[in-house]
Amino acid sequence: MNEILEDIRYFLKTEGFLNEKISLHEDDSLTETGVIDSIILLQLVDFLESKYKIEIPPEMLTPENFDTLAGINESVMKLKTGMNVL
Amino acid sequence: MIAKETIICKNCVLDSKTPGISIHPETGLCQFCEHFTPISKEKKEEYHRRMDILLKSPTERGKYDVIFAMSGGIDSSYTLYRLKKDYPHLNILAMQFDNGFISETALGNARKFCDLTKSTYIRLTLDQNALQDTFSRAARSKDAYPGSAKYRASDICNTCISIIKQKIIELAISTKSPFIVFAFSPGQTDAPFITLTKPFLIWMRKLFDGNLKAMGIAERDTYLIDSSLIRSDSPEPRVTIIHPFLIWDYDKPKFKKECIELGWIDPDIKDHNSSNCLLNAFAIKNHLDKYHIHSYAYDLAALVRQGNMDREDALKKLQVDISDTSIWEVQQKLNV
Repeated sequence: MNEILEDIRYFLKTEGFLNEKISLHEDDSLTETGVIDSIILLQLVDFLESKYKIEIPPEMLTPENFDTLAGINESVMKLKTGMNVL
Repeated sequence: MIAKETIICKNCVLDSKTPGISIHPETGLCQFCEHFTPISKEKKEEYHRRMDILLKSPTERGKYDVIFAMSGGIDSSYTLYRLKKDYPHLNILAMQFDNGFISETALGNARKFCDLTKSTYIRLTLDQNALQDTFSRAARSKDAYPGSAKYRASDICNTCISIIKQKIIELAISTKSPFIVFAFSPGQTDAPFITLTKPFLIWMRKLFDGNLKAMGIAERDTYLIDSSLIRSDSPEPRVTIIHPFLIWDYDKPKFKKECIELGWIDPDIKDHNSSNCLLNAFAIKNHLDKYHIHSYAYDLAALVRQGNMDREDALKKLQVDISDTSIWEVQQKLNV
């Protein structure tokens, strides 16, 4: 597992309600599985911004980018490498 | 009553009986206390400076500067008073949502604090029969709100708060008002500022629509933000939500004292957790019965963890008086 995915899972375990009883795949919806709600989503954004020294533009908060582990991972990777994300 | 084998976190009030909460066998701490990092003084000062910049000279001008969510309880009454005291030039519209269960005293308190602060007051009312049916469905629903939302509020309160959020955002966009202020406690939210964008609003609208649908509510549009305001061809909302209690110190007994001095009247509701809504005690019991989660535990635990509330006070607030007649009355009214 890559570092970003590990960090997201760690965050969701310590700040959210991801536990060993929930088997979460990379393409599962985080909101539909109840792992995050809008408040935890914003906390996660804050966490990722400070962890990776990136700025996540509010326009980027879409289900495509932030509702799955895979989407978040890809978004963070793009921001880290300075790719156009919107 | 807590069973013998239940372990309560040594630091906050979360217990091992609550689904999803684990207490570390060595430290005796819950998973949240284990990893808790308090917000630094510098960060809080930075937030304060940002709020000052935003509210002292708003760059966007609309019909109002601030749309304020007013409940008539202590937190919102104090926040409105403090906002106007710190930023006297603000033109504020305070919206009170009448869900049909707001005490007369809370309605009076809201009006009184609007007069005191020279804010415009509106009382939002929706079809009361439809609302009653909605709350009744929320009470009877199971898992309409998935996972984490269950820890933040009861199904009934999640429904009510989500309606308020949707309608207040709609009001801010339609009046081109740049700020929305909610008096959420530091246990209820974590982001002091939220910049609203269309994609985010579309997402949040869709999620709440799904929750309402899961409860079997057919007429949902009335509870949701007007979709024409967030269509792809409509302008960007340019609205920021501010949660001042993540910036100011949170001292509820002090707020209550100050509010009473200003004329706020205690509604004399037996419920430890609400000073405005008669539905709340029933909503807590209903949530406990369904999920074994006290809907205020997570909020109160966060307040204790942050040092904003004594642990003993929080534990007292978690005691549910099921003999409270208000619970029975609401049950009858909702036909649950």
